[in-house]
Amino acid sequence: MASTKVPVVRFDETTKKFGSLVALDRLSLDIDQGEIVGLLGPNGAGKTTTLRTLLGLMRPTSGRALINGVAAWDDPVTALAQVAYIPGDVAVWPQLTGGQILDLLGGVSGGIDEGYREQLIERFAFDPSKKGRSYSKGNRQKIAVIAALSTRAPLLVMDEPTSGLDPLMEATFQACLREAKQRGQTILLSSHILSEVEAVCDRVAVLRQGVLVEHGTLADLRHLHAHTVEATYVGTPPQLEGIPGVQDVQIADGAIRLQVAGSTDALIKALAAAEVPSIQLREPSLDELFHAYYEDDATERASA
Amino acid sequence: MTTSTPAPDTTRPVTTASDRRADLPPRREHASRSSVWFTLLRHHLRLLRGGATAWILALTGISVGVVATFEDRYTTQAELDAFADLEGVPAFEAMLGRLVGLNTLEGGVLSRWGMFGILAAVWGMFAAVRLLRGAEEVGHLEQLRAGAITPRALLSSVVAALLATHLVLAVAIGVTHSAAGMDPATAWALGGAAGLLTACFAAAGTLASQLVSTRRRAVGIVGAALGISLGLRLIAAAGGTPDWVWWTTPLGWLGFLHEIDAAQLTVLGAYAVLLVVLLAAAFVLAHRDLHAGFLGSSDDTPRGAVRPIRGQASLARRLTLASSRTWGAVIGLLALTFGLLARDFSEAVADLPTMVELADAVGWLAIDTAEGIVAYTFTIIALLLAVFAVGQAVAIREEEASWRIEHLMVRPLSRTTWLATRIVHSLAAMVALALVAGVGAWAGTAIVGTPVSFVDALAAGLNTVSVAWLAFGLGIALVGVVPRLTAPLSYGLVLAAYLLDFVGGMLELPEAVLELSPFAHLASVPVVEMNLTATGVSLAVAALGIVVGLVAFRRRDLQEA
Ligand SMILES: Nc1ncnc2c1ncn2[C@@H]1O[C@H](COP(=O)(O)OP(=O)(O)OP(=O)(O)O)[C@@H](O)[C@H]1O
Ligand SMILES: [Mg+2]
Repeated sequence: MASTKVPVVRFDETTKKFGSLVALDRLSLDIDQGEIVGLLGPNGAGKTTTLRTLLGLMRPTSGRALINGVAAWDDPVTALAQVAYIPGDVAVWPQLTGGQILDLLGGVSGGIDEGYREQLIERFAFDPSKKGRSYSKGNRQKIAVIAALSTRAPLLVMDEPTSGLDPLMEATFQACLREAKQRGQTILLSSHILSEVEAVCDRVAVLRQGVLVEHGTLADLRHLHAHTVEATYVGTPPQLEGIPGVQDVQIADGAIRLQVAGSTDALIKALAAAEVPSIQLREPSLDELFHAYYEDDATERASA
Repeated sequence: MTTSTPAPDTTRPVTTASDRRADLPPRREHASRSSVWFTLLRHHLRLLRGGATAWILALTGISVGVVATFEDRYTTQAELDAFADLEGVPAFEAMLGRLVGLNTLEGGVLSRWGMFGILAAVWGMFAAVRLLRGAEEVGHLEQLRAGAITPRALLSSVVAALLATHLVLAVAIGVTHSAAGMDPATAWALGGAAGLLTACFAAAGTLASQLVSTRRRAVGIVGAALGISLGLRLIAAAGGTPDWVWWTTPLGWLGFLHEIDAAQLTVLGAYAVLLVVLLAAAFVLAHRDLHAGFLGSSDDTPRGAVRPIRGQASLARRLTLASSRTWGAVIGLLALTFGLLARDFSEAVADLPTMVELADAVGWLAIDTAEGIVAYTFTIIALLLAVFAVGQAVAIREEEASWRIEHLMVRPLSRTTWLATRIVHSLAAMVALALVAGVGAWAGTAIVGTPVSFVDALAAGLNTVSVAWLAFGLGIALVGVVPRLTAPLSYGLVLAAYLLDFVGGMLELPEAVLELSPFAHLASVPVVEMNLTATGVSLAVAALGIVVGLVAFRRRDLQEA
């Protein structure tokens, strides 16, 4: 099915270099209609560069970045008529009111759903009558969020959309994303907030130093990674040396704690040899998962 | 036993997906193309409105003032004919461009545009760079470029807005000048040329905004272009250069405007061609990465050793030095050029006694001597130094407007200390620039063998410091009291003061009004001694301004842009 259809977003070996720095390294990724994809990665990993390249704000050094089969760099009007964008740093015109800015951005997007915008202004408790310079950080962010959502564009591209929003507004935002998904809108967002990604995204893509290091559903990612096993035993401790995939084994005072990656079969058979009254298998939390990626990145950068 | 949840099914049946798509409101893609463009045009016009109105009023006003008072001023034919003696005199043509028909109203007005044209060029360049590279630098263009519009169409909406303001200038000049009694054909030709000249420098700003990645560098490029245009005008004005040299600089073309018929069309055509060429180049380069420029790598790693910045004084020195260097080069070169030309100028003028008298009457003393030319040079240097001074105050305000100041103000550093440190560095920079100008003028005259004494040249430089400090003091007072108005008010005041001195005499304003301008009190050092009273008053007002600024700044809230 997917092969006969043009994906809403297609990165095809997309590379972006700044001088000698490779900010994005042969990124290949497809996003189908109705998916919500989260882009994760440490600071400087290339998330903003990815989104800007997709929107034609930057030209890929090689490869292609397509929206509905069209490269925004080559034909921005066709490509971007279907897109709404929330930039990472929302800069507002200090001399214009919030309402004027919303009108401007709506006009530039090529039309908005006025009724929906009123509703969004209400839901985000935004006051559009003030001058741009007087808005707080979160209120500036709301301008960009409301401007983007009110277009009802089939594709929403968002760079850390909730940065600066309070928890209540963040919840409102997530509800809006779910509604957008209901309507079949496709969403690509970057974020540092793992709980947000967990709450709304179907799939995540993890970038590290410009390279796509992981990509899949959250469940897929968890499968790839070590699970924590905690068990108790009575009598002789089980023999856990040399079992494939088992690491960090701690055995003491009747308690076992270890990590297991891949199949649990060999581990369970080994445990069966001892008396094990209780066992718990816990998948890694998203935090644990990403600490692994981010820490690798930090150590690599430190050693470089 | 594994508690992992199964992967959710992310592949959905196509039918459901396309059904959902039908829920989305139809997008008005085709109808919206032009409406997007007009939305942007309106937006840019809104951003330009205030500044453009002020500039158009100022330029049209001072010029029509010359028209309206011309006949009262020169009543006898003899007076007019004496004026015509200035034609071909290097010193005057260097300042005003090619002079023809000075004994006519049209020739007289057009000659003033040799000066007003520079102002128009400055307006055009700053407006364009602010709207393009400035907006991109602060992040405004990112949201606009993500709209349903090509980068070139976005650029065209900015250019259209700019050109609209230039058109208004052209029409305003045409209407007012012909109404005030100027020959209509020349009035409209002048209007067209003024509009096109402004447009050409705006186009240069547009192009520079595509070439380099910061507002500052873009202004630097167009500023250099303006400097070169002025330099070429100096060369064209120098005795003995053939007439065609005037055509090498857009600032020289205005001088052909009063030669009715074909020449007017040639001038307008030349501006139009230059405009089209600059804009075409800008459009070619406009399809580029956001935040990038065509020149220079986007890899901003500095080459060579990086000097440490160890504190706020060190930061103040670094920021002040960075801006002073360029200004030092410009002012030094200007003084050098005038020094080099001083002998030719003074010797040419020496043959024209009526002119020496006329110049004497407007306060340019002894311009038939090298000292006189140096003194005259420093009236221009004084203006430049005052603009630099105001620029320093604006830069200090910018540190607050951009909110970078927050980093410093949350640390154990008092506001007064911070501001005072910046002030001291700026004041010192002004003295340094004045000395550079003095050395430049001395070197120039020494090279051509009519040396002005070194001490005299330095004195001429130092004489201008009080005006610069005065402008700076007022700027600092504004920073403290009405921070958001610092730039428009302080640049406006300097310009008003200079124009008052420059055209106020021609407009026959009452003496009391003329004397409001500090430039009017600047003695022609080294022809005469420094005016100690005027200098003392200037310094006292400067000190007062600085104190007011320091006190007010400490007592008010910090204010963003
Ligand atoms: N215009 C540019 N010129 C030069 N280098 C750039 C430019 N833009 C980004 N980079 C570099 O490209 C790399 C990726 O930057 P990017 O902004 O995409 O990171 P990011 O993942 O969005 O980071 P963050 O989480 O901090 O927002 C960084 O090393 C950055 O320094
Ligand atoms: Mg980013």
